[in-house]
Amino acid sequence: MGPLIPQGIITGEWDFVIALLLGIAFGFILEASGFSSSRNIAGVFYGYNFVVLRVFLTAVLVAMIGLLYFDYMGWIEMDLVYVLPTYLSSMVLGSVIMGLGFVLGGFCPGTSYTAIAIGKIDAMVFTGGLFLGIFLFSEAFPWISDFYYSDNLGSVTISEVLGISNELFTFIMVVMGLVAFWGTWLIEKKVRKTIKHYKFE
Amino acid sequence: MNRNYIYLTILLLALAGGLFVLPERNNEQGTGPEELMWDIVQPTRYATTDQVARMIIEKDPTIELIDVRPTEEYESFTLPGAVNIPLDSIIIEHYQDYLGVDGMNAVFFSNDDIKADQAWVIARRMGYDNIYVMKGGLNHWVETMIRPVKPDETAPEAEFEKYNLRKGACLYFSGAKPDANAGVQKSGVVVKRKKKAAVAEGGC
Repeated sequence: MGPLIPQGIITGEWDFVIALLLGIAFGFILEASGFSSSRNIAGVFYGYNFVVLRVFLTAVLVAMIGLLYFDYMGWIEMDLVYVLPTYLSSMVLGSVIMGLGFVLGGFCPGTSYTAIAIGKIDAMVFTGGLFLGIFLFSEAFPWISDFYYSDNLGSVTISEVLGISNELFTFIMVVMGLVAFWGTWLIEKKVRKTIKHYKFE
Repeated sequence: MNRNYIYLTILLLALAGGLFVLPERNNEQGTGPEELMWDIVQPTRYATTDQVARMIIEKDPTIELIDVRPTEEYESFTLPGAVNIPLDSIIIEHYQDYLGVDGMNAVFFSNDDIKADQAWVIARRMGYDNIYVMKGGLNHWVETMIRPVKPDETAPEAEFEKYNLRKGACLYFSGAKPDANAGVQKSGVVVKRKKKAAVAEGGC
C-alpha cells in the first residue's frame, strides 16, 4: 500500500500540507523533549546531558523496527522508499561542521526554530547565522560542487554495504542503542556530581 | 532507576529480535485471476502488423520490440531493432530492464502469436504495464508486409491506404518492390523479335 505519495495515493498537491503538519509535530516533539534549551543540546558534548542522543536514537530505532514490520505486513514497499544518495567525503565534512555548529551555538537547525518560538534571543542570532551560512554556501556552490558531489556511493544502505540483512542490522543498532542509553546514563550520573549548577528534572 | 526503562529496554529487544523469528512471507501481490481475465479479453493489448511497421518506419522511440522466439531463430531473422528475450527466460533478472521502462511500449512477437501471448501473460503477472502482442506474429508480418495483396477494386479506400503502407513497408524492409515478390513473376525473357525487314517493295 505505502509509501503513499510515490504510489499516487496522496497526490503531490498535498505535499505542503503534509510538510506543515509534520513540521508542527516535529517542532512540538523537539520542544516537549526540552531541545529548545541549548544546555540540553550542548550537554551531549560535556557529558552532563544525553537527552538529544536518547530522543533521536529512539526515533531512529522505532522507525527502523517499524519499517521492517510494515514491510513484513506488506503495508509499505521498501523498493519505493527514497534513499538519499551517499556522497561520502562531503557528508563527513558536513557532519563535522554540523557538530561544530551544534556545540558552538547550542542548537541544531530544527531546535533553533523551536527556541525562537519560545522567544530565545540567542536562537534568533543563531538563525541569522544559519541564513548567512545558507547564502554563502549557495553563492560558493559553483566552486565547491565538485567536492560536494565527489565519492558518490549511490543510494546505498548500510546493510547493503556490509552485506547483512536489514533485520540483523536493525538488531545490532538496537543493541548498540540500548548500550548507549544505559552507558550515557552512567556517564551522566558521574558527571553531574561535579557539575552543581545544572539541575536535571 | 525507573523500572519503566527496564520494560522499554526489554520491549525494544523483543521487537528487534522478533524480526528474526517471523515466518517467511511473500508480499508480492500478483494479478488476480479476475483482473487477469479482464486484461486478456481486452482487444487493445494487440498491435497489428501495420501499426508496428508504421512505428518502425517512423522510428518511433517509444516502441520496444521483443522477440520471444529461441535465440537461433532470432539470429536468423527478426524485425529491425528487436531484442531477444526467449520465452523461457523472461523472468530472469537480467531481462527485467527491458520490460519496466516508463513510457516505452513493449511489443512481444513470435512466429505466430501464441508464444508472444504467453509472454504477455507472464509479463502481466509480473506486474508490467504497456505491454502488447503483435497480432499474427511474424507469419502475418510476412503475409502483410512482404507479400501484400492488392485489394479488390471495389474495396473501401482504407484498404487501399493500408495496401500503400504495406507496399512502402515492403520496400523499406526487404528492399524489393512488392510486385516482384508476388511469386507469379513471368519467367523467361520476352524476346523481341526483330521484324524482318520488309521486302523491299516496289522499286526495281
